[in-house]
Formats: sequence, C-alpha cells, structure tokens
Amino acid sequence: MKTIKDKIAKLSFVALLLAVTSAMFYTPAASAHGEKSQAAFMRMRTIHWFDLDWSKDEVAVNEQITISGKFHVFAGWPETVDKPEVSFLNIGIPGPVFIRQGSWIGGQLVPRSVTLELGDTYEFKVLLKARRPGDWHVHTMMNVEGGGPIIGPGKWVTVTGTMGDFVNPLTTLTGTTLDLEDYGLANIYFWHALWMSIGAAWMLFWMKRPMFIPRHIAVSGGKADTLISATDKKVAMGFAAGTLGLLMFSLGATNEEYPITTPLQAGLMRGIMPIEMPESTVSVKVEDATYRVPGRAMQMTLTITNNGDSAIRLGEFNTASVRFLDADVTEDESGYPDDLLAEEGLTQSDNSPIAPGESKTIEVTASDAAWEVYRLADLIYDPDSRFAGLLFFFDEDGNRQMTMVDAPLIPSFI
Amino acid sequence: MSASQSAVRSRAEAVQVSRTLDWMILFTLFTVILGGYHIHYMLTGGDWDFWADWKDRRLWVTVAPIVSITFPAAVQACLWYRYRLPFGAVVCVLALMIGEWINRYLNFWGWTYFPVNFCFPSNLVPGAILLDVVLMLSGSFVLTAVLGGMAWGLVFYPGNWPIIAPLHVPVEYNGMMFTLADLQGYHYVRTGTPEYIRMVEKGTLRSFGKDVAPVSAFFSAFVSVIIYFLWHFFGRWFSKTDFIDGEGV
Repeated sequence: MKTIKDKIAKLSFVALLLAVTSAMFYTPAASAHGEKSQAAFMRMRTIHWFDLDWSKDEVAVNEQITISGKFHVFAGWPETVDKPEVSFLNIGIPGPVFIRQGSWIGGQLVPRSVTLELGDTYEFKVLLKARRPGDWHVHTMMNVEGGGPIIGPGKWVTVTGTMGDFVNPLTTLTGTTLDLEDYGLANIYFWHALWMSIGAAWMLFWMKRPMFIPRHIAVSGGKADTLISATDKKVAMGFAAGTLGLLMFSLGATNEEYPITTPLQAGLMRGIMPIEMPESTVSVKVEDATYRVPGRAMQMTLTITNNGDSAIRLGEFNTASVRFLDADVTEDESGYPDDLLAEEGLTQSDNSPIAPGESKTIEVTASDAAWEVYRLADLIYDPDSRFAGLLFFFDEDGNRQMTMVDAPLIPSFI
Repeated sequence: MSASQSAVRSRAEAVQVSRTLDWMILFTLFTVILGGYHIHYMLTGGDWDFWADWKDRRLWVTVAPIVSITFPAAVQACLWYRYRLPFGAVVCVLALMIGEWINRYLNFWGWTYFPVNFCFPSNLVPGAILLDVVLMLSGSFVLTAVLGGMAWGLVFYPGNWPIIAPLHVPVEYNGMMFTLADLQGYHYVRTGTPEYIRMVEKGTLRSFGKDVAPVSAFFSAFVSVIIYFLWHFFGRWFSKTDFIDGEGV
C-alpha cells in the first residue's frame, strides 16, 4: 500500500512539474491596453474623443500612418481626478512598434506636456512611422498628471516587413546625418566595455590570490596588516591614477569631438489653441437617466429645445468612445472600430425632426453589448454615479451640432 | 571519520578546498549583489538610469550617485572588516552593471524593442575604483567616506559624459530644438511613461548659468558621504558574528 502511495505521490509531482513547464510554452500576446478596466466615470467624464481617423489599416515598416481627430475636455471633469493642467498627448501602443514622428494639438507640435482648458475642444494629429511587424492595437491616449492615462478608442493596424529594415534618419544642427536607431551604439559599448574591463582587472588582481578563508584566519589572528603589501599599494595607486587620467582624457576628447551640446529640453507648453466651436443652438435637459443592468441599456428622458433655424434630429450619443447611432439619422463612414460602434444602438421614442423653436421630450435608449464588454456598466459601482457624453444633432443638410450631457444615473437591477 | 577530524588530509588539499570555497563564495556574493543591488537601484534610481532622455545635468547627476553608493559602502565594510579585501565597491558595481546589461539587452531591447542606445545603464566603475583604492590605502572608513564618497559623486558625470555627449547634440525638428536624447524619448513611445513624469532640468540652480553639472555633482558628493557612513554601518552590522550564551538558549 505504501509503495502505491509513494508512486502516486511521485507521479503527481512529475505531472505537476510537466504542467508548470508546459504552461511556459503558452504565452498569448497581450493585445489590449487595459482600456476596459479603467473606471467608467473616468472614460465618460474626462476626455471625449470624436471624429477619429486612422489613415491606414496596414502599413509596411518605414511607412507612416496618421491618427487624427478631435477631443473635447469635459467641463464636468470629475472631482476625484486632477484637472488636465499638465497633460501629454500620448499614443497607446505596445512599446515602440511605431515611432512617434510628430504629434500636434491645434496645429502646435506637442512633444512635451500641455495645459488643457475644461470645456474646450481641440483638434489633434499623431504621425507614426511603422517599426516592428505585427498586428497592433493603436489607441489615442491622453495622460493627465494626477489622473493617469485616459485611453481613447483603439484600432488594429497591421505592420508588414522586417524590423531590420527600419531606419530613423536625422540631421543635427551641427550638420551630421545619422540613424537614431543605432546612433552612438558602438561608443556606448566601447566605454562600458573599457570601464568594466578595468574594474574586472582590479578584481582579478585580488582574485588570483586566496580570498576568504585564509584572509579571515589572518584577520581574526590579528595579522590583518600583513594582507596588504607595498606592491598592492603601488598597484592601487596605479589604478587610481589611471582612472583619473582616463577620466580627464575621455572628458577632453569628448568635448573636442562634440563641442556643441545642449541640455535636455523640458517644460510645460501653454496656450494651446482650441477649436472655435459655433454656439450650439440646441439645448438639452436630462430629466432622468437610468441604466438597466439586465438589458445592458441606458435610458434617458431628454427635453430638447431647438433654438436654431432649421429642423434637427438626434443622431448619435458618444460616451467613453462608444458611439451609439440612430441608423435612421446617421451612419459611420470613417471605419470606426466595430467593437466601439453600435450602428443601431440608439433608439428614440420619437425621432422625427424637431422644428425650429420647438421643444420636445423624448425617451432615448442607448443599448449595446458594449456597455458590458467595455465595462461601462460598472459605472453603477463608481464613487460618483453620473454619466456624461456627447450628443450629436443633424439638420436636413447634414450639418452637425454637438451638445454635452452630464447627469446622475440611477441603476435598475430588475 | 569523526566530527573532530579534519576533512582534508594535506596542505595541498586544504588549499584546493579553500580555493573552491573562494569561488563558491565569490559567485554567491556576486549573484546576491547582482540581484539585491539591481532591485535597489531600479527602485531608487529607476528611470534616471533606464533612459537617455532622463540623463540630465541636474537630477540624474544628483540622484544616481546618492542612491548607488549604498551597496558598495556596505559590501566594502563587510569585505574589509572581515577579510581585508579592497574590492567591495568594484564587485558591487560590476555585478550591478552586468545585471543591468542583461536586463537592458534582453528585456528592454529583446522583449520591448527599445534601442539599446536609448536604454543603456550609467557607468559607475570610475567611482568604485576610487572608493576601493581610498579604503585600501587609508584603511579608514572615515577617510573613505569623506574622500571616497566625494570622489564617487564627483566623477560620476565625467565618467558618463563620453557616453551621453553624442546624444546631447542639438537637432531642429518640426520647428523646435531637441537634443537627440529628447527625440529618442519622443520617438520611441513609452505608453506608460508620459512626458511629465520625466524629472529633468527641474530646480533652482539658475544663477550658475549653463554650468549646473559641477554644482549638482558637488551636492551629490556631499550627500554620498553621509549615505556612505550610514550604509557602511549596515555592512558592519551584517558581517558581525554574535555568540549566544548557552544558558540563554
């Protein structure tokens, strides 16, 4: 009986080892950026991305792709997140699979952090150059100091070719043309190898003689002074002098080779120009809003007043990058990511045009699996149970107006 | 063989065993330092050591020597106090730099494809050699802290300048001036490291014009002296042997 038990124990242990070892061969690609795990109220009430365009779905190594669009800095910015006074227009990609050749907000290059104003809408553009082959999820992204990354919609972009072909040529102000991809690499290797060799030589000088036990016996026996000889001291002085000499020589040679250098550039950029948005002629009052947990649907009662001179219809509700469209009014022509697009996700109790001067109260329902998939339903567990988003109205000529909504949300669990 | 008998039968055998133990102890010491010092330095020096666009003339010069003199001071104390071996600082720095190169090459470049010319480690060897030599020649921890600690802080920037200078050449890019290191930081996207996290060129040393690095180095050197003192006590404490009275057990 004992033998059988031992055998079972042994085999179980072998099976466990095999399982652990084989698990190492299963390494699925991490292809998302945690966009779904960010608190829903952060995504709904901070930066609203819209009119986004990824210029290409597939590029070869060294080819460029542009991500452009607009973002609205929500006026009802949550109290629990620091205001976007120090923000950085980033791009959400898995490491430098693209290089960022340029990024602009309101036409201004923004390589550094910027100050954004609440309630303003900005135009942006990010220019990327493909570097590493693969399928990459490319997100818009705004980092806010004290708030963290606010990630926008992501779209899959395929990069073809070979990374070895990638080049990043630049010409310095001193007239040198170089490839930043491997510029200065030989110099880095040389100096590190040289200094580490000198360090290793110092070590070898002491390692070639008995090290621990005999020396410990000598120190314990009060003969510590005998362990360092006059020759050792001369060699040590040689190392010190050589070190100082090499430092001085390398410093001088470097300054001669690179007489013009500048400090790293840093600092906050202010005065970024927002888009001059026309005064909205539509006013919207949220009478109430509920989220039906079983139905994955948000229902709003809106009183819409058209103060303009042409009839309008509500066509889109955009929140946390998810676009709920009323297919009768508008459709997406930009190739927006499918998982973030509910083409028929917006239904209205009455979607007939609202005439100029007319005020109408309607029931609007935004329903789609995206509520669940993108964990927006978790809004009901957030510390500030409010929803927010952009409403887009369209007139007969296709002109669009944008209005913000921001109101408390009551969950319905039955 | 009883417990009271020696495990070796001749002097030659004793020497052989002693040398074998030397290599075993040194290998263990090296790998333990590689791990411990590396983690310590990544947690305290972190991004300043990771990225070329963090290696500035103010904060990198100040922070890196202060946080890196720790393990060399402790290991020096242990190796000198117990063995009169004056390579404590160099063994630490070599272990750290080998660990860092493994990390930068395999992880930063091999896994995430950051170019090595953007994520190379700082060079700490010159300061380590001076620290060891001062201890060996003086035999005094006070002098080592004061002279060696000062040297450690002061030679850090000159020891690294030949490596980083090529990356401080200016370039005009889309109507703005950058250094090549700035452009590396901008081009090679770090999704989790927004630009505002970068702590460079911050401070109030404006009355020294462009010659900020020596002032930062002196400040760093002064603090390194204090940190050396503190950490050398850790080393002494760590290498102490206490015998407990049998009656108290």
